[in-house]
Amino acid sequence: MKPLDLPLRIVALAVVATTVAFLLAPLLVACLLSFDNRSFLGPFPPKDFSLRWYRSFLDNPAYLDGFWMSVHVAVIAGAISTAIGTATALALADPRLPGRDAIEAVFLSPKFVPTVVIGFSLLVFTAFIGIYDPFVRLVMGHTIITIPFTIRAVSASLVALKRSHIEAAMSLGASEPRALWDVAVPAARSGIVAGGAIAFVLSFDEVAVSLFLSDAFTQTLPIALVAEMRANLNLTIAAVSTVFLAATLALLFVLDRTLGIERLAGDVGARG
Amino acid sequence: MKRLPIAVWLIVPGAAALVFLMGGPVAVLTIDSLRPYIPGSIRAGEGYTFANYLELAKPAYFNYAYETFRIGLIVSTFSVAMGAPLAYVAVRSKRAVVRKGLLTLLVGLLVMSLIARLYAIEMTWGSHGPLAFIGAFVSGLAPRSPRYAEVLVSIGLMHFTIPIVALMLVGAFRALSPRLEEAAASLGATRSEAILTVVLPLAAPAMVSAYLVSLAMCISNFVAPLLLGRGVVVFTTNLMYTRFTDIGNYQAGAAIGVFMLIASFAVVYGLATIAKKLLPSVVPTR
Repeated sequence: MKPLDLPLRIVALAVVATTVAFLLAPLLVACLLSFDNRSFLGPFPPKDFSLRWYRSFLDNPAYLDGFWMSVHVAVIAGAISTAIGTATALALADPRLPGRDAIEAVFLSPKFVPTVVIGFSLLVFTAFIGIYDPFVRLVMGHTIITIPFTIRAVSASLVALKRSHIEAAMSLGASEPRALWDVAVPAARSGIVAGGAIAFVLSFDEVAVSLFLSDAFTQTLPIALVAEMRANLNLTIAAVSTVFLAATLALLFVLDRTLGIERLAGDVGARG
Repeated sequence: MKRLPIAVWLIVPGAAALVFLMGGPVAVLTIDSLRPYIPGSIRAGEGYTFANYLELAKPAYFNYAYETFRIGLIVSTFSVAMGAPLAYVAVRSKRAVVRKGLLTLLVGLLVMSLIARLYAIEMTWGSHGPLAFIGAFVSGLAPRSPRYAEVLVSIGLMHFTIPIVALMLVGAFRALSPRLEEAAASLGATRSEAILTVVLPLAAPAMVSAYLVSLAMCISNFVAPLLLGRGVVVFTTNLMYTRFTDIGNYQAGAAIGVFMLIASFAVVYGLATIAKKLLPSVVPTR
């Protein structure tokens, strides 16, 4: 293929380089600031470095309690969402299902409901039906916001699956559920893993839903961080951000080794 | 009796979750939005009224909705303008390391905590940040001025939407065969002409979809204006929260919620339908 003409190549390079710098610069700045030895927010860059803000993070029980609460909610909501998303995606992959397009649109619709509306409406609804446990409320809210993403991720991995593959297994004596379990589920493996990972991450990071559904004793890490950011903008959150960055890099490494980042990009692109 | 296909049974858990976790709550919210508000009481009054909706037509409320959409439109325009070239290079670059590096960046940002990123943006582009001078130069606003919050919120939203837009377009560019560009080149077109006359028109449906998804995500965003808006940039979502927490007016909050719901669906489905009628060859059916 011919290379790009020089003027367009320069423009394209400039736009791409600017965008990459725009996306990366804040992460690098926060990472550097997290090692700042100063006890106050001073001019960038820091001169002396220390781990004082990491110690401050580990010494703060609100953060650690919030972290474990977030993990619990994200694991349970992510598991429920992945199971429901996988079942729904398998159903949507069946060409015999009537009204597939309409059903898919309805199942993906929570993605376009503002999370603040989901949080507020669930608060009113759970009070109406007598559910007051904030943990149950959080799991309910986090499950509904993640279902569309697990459906899309699993559906993306099932694109190459043909009905004839299921029918071939059935012609060899397998029941339909057995054929789906042995043929379709392994084919959807990358989508199930990607969907589960996205569901966990979305739940772990959710603010609006959690703000409505948590109480003073059941706070997730994002709620603790938001409260800290609004009250006192200090560098402990820079340390937390750097921990998040390291966790993201570790997750990317694992996902690349298990699924391949290029394939994953296709599956999670369905997040949009 | 004819047996139901297994697909119908597989739909049941999702349908039950949808009815219980979204249908029921939205129905209760809608009923609540039609109840009269009694000042000083968290309980709604008797009967039904449209007063909570009529209040939304007042200029003060209209300004919040206008600001929300204005910032959403600006951010979505930048997101598609910056995300499309990134997606194209991530798909078509000859260097595998460039393709993989860009895709890793996009997926990484998609899974990284938004709160951590918003904090990092405040530290980088905020009043004391090392890049505040660029924000001030581009916007013409002093970093310490209240209106600079618009710049911060826009940057926060772009950091959120660019990876989503770019990954949607990665899928679209992957679906376009490179042979189309080669065919154009074999007919004498330069690479630039092939991109402008072949790739862009074919990718236009995905770009329109990405723009609308970005707009819907911006106007329904809550946390970016909450953390970066400095109380100056207040989106409709924030207004709903404050009506509930500060005043205890559940009914007004519910009415704003129903309005937000309709606005989001109108953007995603309504605008896509209108665009499809106006540009039938450009906007996809789904």
